[in-house]
Amino acid sequence: MTNAVTLLTISDGLSIQFASDGLGRIFLCLDTVMWILAAIYASKYKEHMKKPKQFFVFFGLTYLMLAALSMAANYLTMYLCFEFMTLLSMPMVLNDGTMESIAAARKYLMYSIFGATLGLLGFFFSAYYGTSAVFVSGGVLDAAKTAGKEGTLLVTAFISIVGFGAKAGLFPLHAWLPTAHPVAPAPASAVLSGVITKAGVLCILRIVYQVYGAAFLSGTWVQTALIVLALITVFMGSMMAYGEDLLKKRLAYSTVSQVSYVLFGVFTMNPAAVLGALLHVVYHSIIKDCLFFGAGAVIFTNHKEYVSQLRGMGKKMPVTYGCFTICSLGLIGIPPFAGFLSKWYLATGSLSEGLPVLSWLGPAVLLLSALLTAGYLLPISIQGFFPGEGEKEAEGKEAPGRMLFSMLVLAAATVLLGIFAQPLSDVMQQIAGGLF
Amino acid sequence: MNGIGILIAIAIPILGGAFVPLLDFGSRRARESYVMAIVLAASVYTLSLLASGQGTSFVLYHLTSTIDITFRIDRYGSIFALLVSVLWPLASLYAFEYMSHLHKKNRFFGFYTMCFGITLGVAFAGNFITMYLFYELLTLVTVPLITHEGTREAKVAGVKYLVYSIAGATAAFIGMIAVLSHGGSLEFDVIGLGSAATPENRRLFDLAFLFMFFGFGVKSAVWPLHGWLPTAGVAPTPVTALLHAVAVVKSGVFAIGRVVYFTYDAGYLDGSFVQKVGLLFSAFTIIYGTVMAWKEMHFKKRLAYSTVSNLSYIVFAFLLVTPSGLEAGLLHMIFHGVMKIALFFVAGAVMHQSGRIYVTELRGFGKAMPVSIAVFTVASLALTGIPPLCGFLSKFAIAEAAVEESTPFAYFGIAALLISAIFTAAYLLTICIRAYFPPADFEPWSLKSVKEANWYMTLPLVLLAAAIILLGCFPGPLMRFIGGVVPAAFPGL
Repeated sequence: MTNAVTLLTISDGLSIQFASDGLGRIFLCLDTVMWILAAIYASKYKEHMKKPKQFFVFFGLTYLMLAALSMAANYLTMYLCFEFMTLLSMPMVLNDGTMESIAAARKYLMYSIFGATLGLLGFFFSAYYGTSAVFVSGGVLDAAKTAGKEGTLLVTAFISIVGFGAKAGLFPLHAWLPTAHPVAPAPASAVLSGVITKAGVLCILRIVYQVYGAAFLSGTWVQTALIVLALITVFMGSMMAYGEDLLKKRLAYSTVSQVSYVLFGVFTMNPAAVLGALLHVVYHSIIKDCLFFGAGAVIFTNHKEYVSQLRGMGKKMPVTYGCFTICSLGLIGIPPFAGFLSKWYLATGSLSEGLPVLSWLGPAVLLLSALLTAGYLLPISIQGFFPGEGEKEAEGKEAPGRMLFSMLVLAAATVLLGIFAQPLSDVMQQIAGGLF
Repeated sequence: MNGIGILIAIAIPILGGAFVPLLDFGSRRARESYVMAIVLAASVYTLSLLASGQGTSFVLYHLTSTIDITFRIDRYGSIFALLVSVLWPLASLYAFEYMSHLHKKNRFFGFYTMCFGITLGVAFAGNFITMYLFYELLTLVTVPLITHEGTREAKVAGVKYLVYSIAGATAAFIGMIAVLSHGGSLEFDVIGLGSAATPENRRLFDLAFLFMFFGFGVKSAVWPLHGWLPTAGVAPTPVTALLHAVAVVKSGVFAIGRVVYFTYDAGYLDGSFVQKVGLLFSAFTIIYGTVMAWKEMHFKKRLAYSTVSNLSYIVFAFLLVTPSGLEAGLLHMIFHGVMKIALFFVAGAVMHQSGRIYVTELRGFGKAMPVSIAVFTVASLALTGIPPLCGFLSKFAIAEAAVEESTPFAYFGIAALLISAIFTAAYLLTICIRAYFPPADFEPWSLKSVKEANWYMTLPLVLLAAAIILLGCFPGPLMRFIGGVVPAAFPGL
């Protein structure tokens, strides 16, 4: 990274620096757009919250930390922003004040801090064995110093990546996600699932490509182990979502699965796969936010939380269900909706990388998971619009305008970014290529 | 500067404190003015000595031809003296308010002030004998402070402390005699054993080291010799805060540093068996203390276990026997002092204002005692190791020193540090969550009678919180001051 702005120099090798690079700019744009839409949505949804004022304070502060995280120019700054993002987003989870939500918030906090602390290990070692204080594509390790210490450094890389993976819901540190996301108010679940999990992805991207370097990690046991973890998560998340009746929890499990699609692309360390990963970051954010907004709309207007209660609801909430259906199709990966393209690149990138077994096993797992995604999302729409003969008419009404607005924007984005993907994909291609 | 200045710095609080019980103070204000004047005078005088008197020494008298009572201001001792002389006035101010409803204040403040001088004696001791003398005195003078409340529990804690400490000091004494009688030097301006260490007597010196390590390990609460510290949590908060987080326990750590770097040296210890023993025990204590803190529900005892863990950070760093290890250990010695005293002060303030002593009873306190809980949160984040607060910096320095060492024992220490960070978050931040985000069924009126403490207590708290932030962001001057210890401890570099 060039042109880093130093906010504070603490001591030799420790400084708080910010810089803007392509990778950071994508995440910053994404955070900003999603936050605006979530804010519009929340301005109505707040009537359903116990402590709206508290929610908006932490909602704003979390955005600030996410933005800072996107622009963090070195490991220390990234770690700092990551920790504060956790601390400041935690109160959104316990907004309800029930014992359940407080327990969920504590679980979230502990998993995240546990993960970040593991991530600190990478900082300790890269600070000593690295040459550059700021992130550099290709890695910062000093070959002369690391000679003979590669084994140790690989262990630290693995532990750090798994640590930051906690935020991204990577197995085995995923368990907080299905607990914490559903109990938060809907706009918070949306940004937690859609955006904040991506903060974990960003940290992992930085560590893999700009601290240790793809050349150092590719072909090692670390890469194999991480890909296996990502694939386990993809499959497990989908399976759990498939078996879950509570709608928001189903969506949370879906996030576990989908974010690991992204991580699979990141760990494959192939430019096409990374392109797919970056595209999926954007697509999944848009889609998952919209799905959570939809789930929130049902809760807000009709007080229904379980999938099994939603028979025929589509007729009462046609716009909500329309958006929900479009986004479902996108998440499954049906062209021309957004979500198809990213998976396409993930699969082709993986196949062309030529890793033993994993190169073809990966796409196979992604395909299987796509089927499961269809299995856990489409029945909601089908039962919503076609309750079946003899079912009694559902009670309910359409969601308020401000909530619909956010959903419509996201559904439109799902369609448009799927059909006219070229400009976005060009930008991403450049950024993905620049990481190697 | 004449060396006699050192004697004056030590004598002011000892004599001033000794007179407290003899004087008849008409009012609370009179006693407070007198004690504060003594403490401030000693503090300011000590700080001026540190600024101008580096390197001066003073021989009080010769016990025998080889043994004498010597004081010297070297950089290593100065760092400890700096820590205590900055914190003592703050703790005294806090103690005035905290002790206001307890009995026998004259006795308390007498001993409390004397401790200051004795701790300075440990810091400025120029050889092992002198340090040993003040180390034992410190034990004796702090016993009445632990038993102050006079309850059975307090008396038991006092006896336990006394037995542990004297036994430890005796073990250290045996080690000291062994070193002396085999040609080692006990003067702190002579680094290492020199020609006294030969392959034949290596085993003896190893044994002597272990005696001294575990002997001083009592006050620095190395497992399995830590037992007295959580028990002593029954003492009044100013005692647990200042003595059991700073003065007494850091005397133990300080003495271990003296043994490692001044009596022995890197040439002898690096890669030795005893170094491995020390690293192993301290790394294990880090984990043990932090897990016990997590399990403990009594507020002050939880903090005491946290101290057990954090003291071993310092011992671990010292035992790396590298310049960066020494610097990192000293940095954590200062930072931990500042953070832990703040945490204890909050625990004490909560006890003083509401009578609650368990961490589970603190629901909604964020609103009732906003300043205290805010300071507690800052100190908790710092102790967990969140940048840019000071605790991160010392933890980073220790980890870097261990990475540089790159042996399995050093890596074990890094793992211990990380495990400890996670548990620290668990046992401190949960308190903050409970205080700030009570559940929906919480009744605010149940805390109606709980008010924020007055400025005697909040002023030290706010100053400490400011120090935690500022030292974390701008550690440059302090790190340069600490860095000055390296040329003395590593003359070969």
